Amino acid sequence: MKPMTKENAIDIDKSVDINNEMTNPQVSSLQIPAEEVKIKAEDVRVRYGEKEALFGINLDIPQSKVTSFIGPSGCGKSTFLRCLNRMNDTIDGCSVTGNIHMDGVDILSKQVDTVLLRAKIGMVFQKPNPFPKSIYDNVAYGPRLHGLGNSKSDMDEIVETSLEKVGLLKEVKDRLLEPGTGLSGGQQQRLCIARAIAVDPEILLMDEPCSALDPIATAKIEELIDELRGSYTIVIVTHSMQQAARVSQQTAFFHLGNLVEYGETEQIFTSPQDERTKGYITGRFG
Amino acid sequence: MQTTIFTFTVLLLAFIGYYMGRSRAVATVSGDVRKLHSLPRHYGYFVALWCGVPALVLCVLWMLFEPYIVNTLVLSGVPNIDPDASSAVIARILSDVKFLAANGVGRGADDPVMVAAAEHYTHLKTVGTASLAVAIIAFSILGLVIGSRRVGADLKARNQVEGLIRWVLLASSVIAILTTIGIVGSLLFEAIRFFGKVPFTDFLFGLEWSPQIALRKDQVASQGSFGAVPIFAGTMLISFIALCVAVPVGLLSAIYMSEYATPKVRAIGKPMLEILAGIPTVVYGFFAALVVAPTIRGFGEAWGLDVSSESALAAGLVMGIMIIPFVSSLSDDVIRAVPQALRDGSYALGGTKSETVTQVILPAALPGIVGGVMLAASRAIGETMIVVMAAGLTANLTANPLQAVTTATVQMVTLLVGDQEFDSPKTLAAFALGLVLFCVTLCLNVVALRVVAKYREKYD
Amino acid sequence: MTELKESMQKAQARLKKRHAAETRFKAFGIGALVFAFLCVVMLFSSIISNGYTGFRQSYMKIDITFDESVIDPQGKRDFDTLNRADYGKIVKQSLYDFFPDVKKRGDKRTLSNLVSSNAAYTLRDMVVADPSLIGTSQSVWVMASDEVDMLIKNVFKREDDESTRPITNKEIAWVEKYESENRIETRFNTNFFTAGDSREPEQAGIRGALMGSALTMLITLALSFPCGVMAAIYLEEFAPKNKFTHIVEVNINNLAAVPSIVFGLLGLAIFLNIFGMPRSAPVAGGFVLALMTLPTIIIASRAALKSIPPSIMEAAIGVGASKMQAVFHHQLPLALPGILTGTIIGMAQALGETAPLLMIGMVAFIADVPGWINDPATVLPVQVYLWADSPERAFVEKTSAAIMVLLGFLITMNALAVLLRKKLERRW
Repeated sequence: MKPMTKENAIDIDKSVDINNEMTNPQVSSLQIPAEEVKIKAEDVRVRYGEKEALFGINLDIPQSKVTSFIGPSGCGKSTFLRCLNRMNDTIDGCSVTGNIHMDGVDILSKQVDTVLLRAKIGMVFQKPNPFPKSIYDNVAYGPRLHGLGNSKSDMDEIVETSLEKVGLLKEVKDRLLEPGTGLSGGQQQRLCIARAIAVDPEILLMDEPCSALDPIATAKIEELIDELRGSYTIVIVTHSMQQAARVSQQTAFFHLGNLVEYGETEQIFTSPQDERTKGYITGRFG
Repeated sequence: MQTTIFTFTVLLLAFIGYYMGRSRAVATVSGDVRKLHSLPRHYGYFVALWCGVPALVLCVLWMLFEPYIVNTLVLSGVPNIDPDASSAVIARILSDVKFLAANGVGRGADDPVMVAAAEHYTHLKTVGTASLAVAIIAFSILGLVIGSRRVGADLKARNQVEGLIRWVLLASSVIAILTTIGIVGSLLFEAIRFFGKVPFTDFLFGLEWSPQIALRKDQVASQGSFGAVPIFAGTMLISFIALCVAVPVGLLSAIYMSEYATPKVRAIGKPMLEILAGIPTVVYGFFAALVVAPTIRGFGEAWGLDVSSESALAAGLVMGIMIIPFVSSLSDDVIRAVPQALRDGSYALGGTKSETVTQVILPAALPGIVGGVMLAASRAIGETMIVVMAAGLTANLTANPLQAVTTATVQMVTLLVGDQEFDSPKTLAAFALGLVLFCVTLCLNVVALRVVAKYREKYD
Repeated sequence: MTELKESMQKAQARLKKRHAAETRFKAFGIGALVFAFLCVVMLFSSIISNGYTGFRQSYMKIDITFDESVIDPQGKRDFDTLNRADYGKIVKQSLYDFFPDVKKRGDKRTLSNLVSSNAAYTLRDMVVADPSLIGTSQSVWVMASDEVDMLIKNVFKREDDESTRPITNKEIAWVEKYESENRIETRFNTNFFTAGDSREPEQAGIRGALMGSALTMLITLALSFPCGVMAAIYLEEFAPKNKFTHIVEVNINNLAAVPSIVFGLLGLAIFLNIFGMPRSAPVAGGFVLALMTLPTIIIASRAALKSIPPSIMEAAIGVGASKMQAVFHHQLPLALPGILTGTIIGMAQALGETAPLLMIGMVAFIADVPGWINDPATVLPVQVYLWADSPERAFVEKTSAAIMVLLGFLITMNALAVLLRKKLERRW
């Protein structure tokens, strides 16, 4: 990375000013046909108490593809991700305004049952967070909540398919009843993904799923994301630009609570249109 | 009075020592303080400590052992004391001697032996006090001399003074250990004496408890019976009732406060539970006897039940109320320690709050909660005032919560309040009960604290 | 909208049930809190409703003839005679004169019980202060007996059946005669705060218990505060991390959970029987409570010391202070608010403690106010216990009033601790 010089420092300052004035139009080169839009966000704003975290995000996420959110820490990419399955509801003093439509339904409306919504939209977190239960119970937790798999054999099937899909079945087949916390970090994260897909969601949200893992485990997860792409719409927040480039088809760049640029991944990484995107991608800040 | 004069003298000498040490130190380097190893006042402290500490130690030792030595000497001077006489008899003789010595001889017909003993006592006291005075002053002056002799530019006065302070600090922290040793020692000592009179197995497994020993030997039932099973059972029954109240209420309120409550509710709920925790147990006892017991009795009568006015239910219920804040604050700590990531994981799968609590948080927090409940149980077992005021006195072997039962703590209070004779099994039985109580609560505490500590490590 | 997947349909079907369970669970939580709240309310309301009358006392105005033939038949007027005279007789005479119809002996005795036995002392003090009263007639306000007091305060209800209350209709008629002449009034019960314990409820006061508590707390504080703080300093700053230190730490944590009555046994066996401390005296009580409070103070002080960032210590050592100097010049002053908070809370616990003091004989009936730490004494919570055990109905209000005073002290102390924590404690 280039050392921070006075020149680029000024650059960044300028961009900050622009952001605060909210005059900067969002650059989006992406044209997604309406029938392929899975999630449509319009003017999404989030505030934590007095502090504003997101300043009006407009974004369309296409079906059955991987969309990645990149940007420096604190830019609001995780906050936006958590809007998509209303996880922000669990935080005291957090308010979300605007519209997010999923298949035409406004998921921010009060009528939407978050319980059901979250069954449709699975989520994987930064740090693997298996419950202190057996591997089997970890995967079966979601289906049990939602009443899927009425018989023991149904449940066994759900668990096995889910584990199979994440490639964990072979590794843990003989110790399904041992605690999930006993697995290695990468296995734990794959267990969490299995847990998420066990309820058969349509969308998978991943919040920096590899940041706590070593490179080999990371590679496995990335491979998995690629495999899962066909069956699920995947949104991934990542700190690593290489990862975004490797796994995603669309990339959105967030900066200081704004969506700065959104486009085909290749285009974002090869010919970014916004100065800030360019600065971030070339490693001048972030 | 004497102690005040002694203390004052020693303090005065130490004060002199401080100035001597300081000026001496300055003088040795002829005013150039930088040549000294430490600051001048450290030399002052050094000499003052040399002067005061030995005298102080002597004084404390004297205060500890003087009564014992004098008493032994006086008793050895009194002829024809039955060597097997009980401690109560000896205590009576001693107090008579002291009374005679204090009030002067010659009021009526005094036993010449006692008069002689009283004179002996007065004599010993005077000699003792005089020699103490001499010794203390000698020690102080000796210390002063030794201390100020050692003062010189090379003396590491600060290090020496700090070394002593360190020892004092260490001694303070040893007090806790001494307390434990004192507890174990006194309980064991008296309990062993008790088991010399009443077989251990009779105590531990006997089914009948009636410690009232007749005053005259020829009376019927002069031998009390000391089977403690009904007492243990009563203690367990009341503690169980208390936990049945405290654990659900405490746990549920902790869950509500940490997972559901708005900050406003929390701001009211927390202090309210703290108020419950701060109320003295004697107040709970009064509440139990005045309000709860009659109410329960009234209810029982309305349903045609025979409820004792000292029912285990009333005592247990109020004890449960007392323990609620204890359970809730421990559970609150434990529930808070469960990482947010686990909650998020469950919410993200579409779990409701209650499902998350019951299926993820509680299983994860279980060891901590179990530890907390154990601590609460140890609290309940050792609680005294509520049961003394609201539970019964007679040992009843029953599991019916509407009847009166007694507990170990109630028995200890009844056995030890009032006149004590330190040789009667009746008094010693209290120590045996105390030993059992101490062992049980200690085991519960040790295990519970371990469990909680392990639990904390897991999520740190 | 696309058709719902089969799994979603299943989930949807269960939703109502799950939300009902959620509501139920939440209701349980609220129920638990409400239960705790009701307990607090019931406890306080029952104490206050029983106790607030304890701060008032009924007085009766009776016409007294200071009969010289009773007080000082020889006309000596010296202190001894005046002090020893039979004032009770004068009081009785006053009552008999007021009700000339009462002739029977039993009735007369009942009649004379309308006023407190304390009335005779009131008269004595008057006469001793002013002997010229002898031979005159005066109207004097004297304390009513506890039963009359209970009647006036409507604890014994006139409309109740005679057999269910300890005061007879005849007595009520007498009292009503006094009432009709405005000879009965209730005043603030100063006696409650100035008198020691008494077998007569109307004369019993908490002065002795308050003094005993104060002396006991003095000893407790003087012992446990320095020892606790020094132990905490050693364990937190100086102790090597070895097995011995570990034992001390575990030991302190366990000591904090030992039942308080066991400390009483320790006090009885060691302080009383071996060291020969006086029974029932604040000095022994103070020692026992000090040992009990010690773990609380050590734990709080350690937490306070621990919360100070190591940079302070490093800075002091960096400029050449010894570790001891760094601790005493910087760590300790900075930790003091936290230490004081812990100490106040420990003291509040000790102030409310009863059980261990029963073991060392502070439960005896002591009418005198203790003057110093060797005098026999009792403390406020033990006084509560003693009064709660007394059969007279009037002691219920005294007990409750004493509890109100005790709770007043405790709440003040805890509020002080909270205030101290809020105002002085620094967040690093």
